This record gives sequence, structure tokens and C-alpha cells, in this order.
Amino acid sequence: MKKIIIAALLLAGILPAYAQEQAPKLYTLPSPYDRYTHYQVTARYTGAIPVGSFSSNYIDKSSFENYSIALEWVFQNSFSVGGEVGYSFFKKRIPRATYQQSDGSEISAVQTRTLMQYPIQAFANYSFAPKNARVQPYVQLSAGASILDYTLYYGILADQQQKIRPTYGIGVGSKFLFKKDGNFGADIRVKYQGTSYDYDYVDKGVSSVNASVGLFYRWW
Amino acid sequence: MLRKASYLIISATLWLTSCSNDPVNDLSDLDSQVFITNHDKSANFKSFKTFSISDSVTVVQDSRSGTALTSIDRDLLTRIITNMQNLGYTYVAVDKKPDVGLTAARITNTYLNVASNPYSSYWGGYYGGFYGYPGYYTYETSESYWAISMLDLKNADSTAERLNVIWDAQIRGAGLGNQDYIDQMVDSAFGQSTYLSLK
Repeated sequence: MKKIIIAALLLAGILPAYAQEQAPKLYTLPSPYDRYTHYQVTARYTGAIPVGSFSSNYIDKSSFENYSIALEWVFQNSFSVGGEVGYSFFKKRIPRATYQQSDGSEISAVQTRTLMQYPIQAFANYSFAPKNARVQPYVQLSAGASILDYTLYYGILADQQQKIRPTYGIGVGSKFLFKKDGNFGADIRVKYQGTSYDYDYVDKGVSSVNASVGLFYRWW
Repeated sequence: MLRKASYLIISATLWLTSCSNDPVNDLSDLDSQVFITNHDKSANFKSFKTFSISDSVTVVQDSRSGTALTSIDRDLLTRIITNMQNLGYTYVAVDKKPDVGLTAARITNTYLNVASNPYSSYWGGYYGGFYGYPGYYTYETSESYWAISMLDLKNADSTAERLNVIWDAQIRGAGLGNQDYIDQMVDSAFGQSTYLSLK
């Protein structure tokens, strides 16, 4: 009889616990990030390597003065779209040399070649992983316009042109969530960016390969 | 929330645009200097043998002009003579009918510049008004430079009383009033004009 009572008491303790395990667990529901379209803002710092004729004719020096901020709408499917604005600045100093001008004059100067851009682009991402995966590789296409400032200094004398020109990009990258289901994460991206431009030394556009590291915050 | 984020992006853009720096503020005085030379393609420099030089420097400030002979002006004229002699020309007095004559000038110009703000048209009137971005701004710059000219006295047009400038040089940049740089500046202007040499 005593044994039966002990067994009954044990069961009384275990059964509710068992029953509790069968109850639906709130935290196993899909994350809001899986269920809803949500927003994401990403700030990036970029190193840019000039390529193509921009590199061979004007500036071949890599730039580490590039920043951008992007706002993104992440859909429930694998796509997201958004806008990104940035700042990039290329500069190269050429030691003193004499340049023959088309009018026959000679200019001896230290050249400082600069190119500044404020690209403003719309982009679409395709992500290869679920919204809460710790690693989320993606590909990106972007297009927009770039406010360009071409300034070529001879000593302290400047030849400057400012234009707004079409720009586009194609990139691959990955997001890294700091915590499963969390709001914060890191972003790395490698992107080719091209801007149509033709002036003086730059005759076939401004193109560069940009490698960036960033931080993002997402909310819904 | 979305509206807030959009303003965040716009504010960030304006902040980024205000980060423009001066890419040449790290140049030394000598590196900042620019030597611009030009010559008359029809001039045959080999036909000239002698030269003379004005006894003072012309000083031009905006629309006013006069002459001066300060210590730095004297150094400049002396160095021009040295360079001409090194190129093979003979220095003679003005009354000895030199083939070419040289003059030097210190020129200071003050400009009132009007520049359009390149972003005003992009953001349009709405944000322009909101952030107080003007469409245009004005600024004043003052630039001084040295100018050296070579005049053809041998083939002077006596009827029109005109002398042709067959070579000229402009020296621009920082440190132009520094006496220590004078020799180097004049040497550079002549050095890049190899066609002047009689040798």
C-alpha cells in the first residue's frame, strides 16, 4: 500500500510535467522576422579598388574613405529591396611632372587627382538563407544616380567638374546575425560599381570593386 | 517608423556631403607651385643672340599697375639673366639693340566668385528650404603670381608699334613671396622650356 502511494505521488509529479511538455510552446512559433515583412538599416565602411580605364588612366590607388547607409524592406520570401546612399573619395598624388597641353603650353606641377561620389541607389537582394539563420548569403543588384565631383589639381590650381550620372552595381555578400532571432548583426559585401562618366582623363566611366564591412539593425 | 528611417537617411546624406576636405592642404609650398609656359610656335629662337631685361618689376593689382624693385624683385631679375646666359644668350644694355627683351611682373587679382550649390537642384526646393541650403553662394579669392615675358625686339612691327610676346611663363602657387624659393622658381620656368636653348 505504501509503495502504491509513493508511485501515485511520483506519477502526480511527473504527469503534469509530461502534460506541460505537450502544450504548445510560444517560443517555438516562427519568429516575427519570418512572419512579417520587416525593415533593416545597414551602415557600411568600404575599401574600394579602382578597376578598368578609371584605374589605368586616372587613379589606381585604393580608397579607404567610403561610407554608406542603406534602408531595406525585407519581404517574407527571399527578396528584399531598399535604398542606399554613400560617399566615396578617390585621391592620387603624382610627383612633379611636365604636362603638354593641347594649346602647346607646358604645365609643370604636382598633380593631385581626386574623384568624389555620392551614389544614391535602389537595390534588390536575393537571400539564400532563412531570416533567422546565423549566416545569410545574398546577391545584390543596384541602380541609381551618382553626384560626381571630378577635381584635378595642378599644384593648388584646380580643374573641376560636377555632374549627376547614372550608376549601377552588382554584389555578393552575407549577413551574420549576432544572436538567433536578434536585431543586430554584421554584414560583409563585395560589389562591383560602375558610373557612366566622360571628362578629361576619365573617358570610360568610373568603376571600382568595393569590399565593405557593416553593421545592421532590423526591426518589425 | 518608416518615415523616421527615411529622414535618417536624408540627414545622413547631408552629413556626408558636409565632410568635404581640401585634398591639397598637405602640399608643401614648393609642391604647390605651378609653372605654366607657352611660346610662339612661329618664333625661331635660334635666330636670337642677345637679350636685355627691364630694370624693375611691373606690379599689377587688379586694374592698377606700377613698378617696383624690392630685394626679391632684384633676385628675380638676376636669376632670369643667369638662366638666359646659361641658355646661350648674351646680356647687353637696352641701347645695344638686343634681339629679345624680358620683363617680369607681380600680378594680384581679386575675384568675386559665384558658385551654384550642386546639391540644391537635386534635393529640390522642399528640402532646400527645410535645411536652409542656398542655391548659390559667393566667395572672394585673391591670387598672386609671377609672370615673365620674352618680347621679340628684333622683328618689331614698327608701323603698328607692336612687340610680339614669343615666350611667357607664369609661376603660381604658395610661397611666391619667399626669397629662398626665387632661384628655384625661375630655374623651373626656364628649365621646362627646352626650345629656348641656343646650344
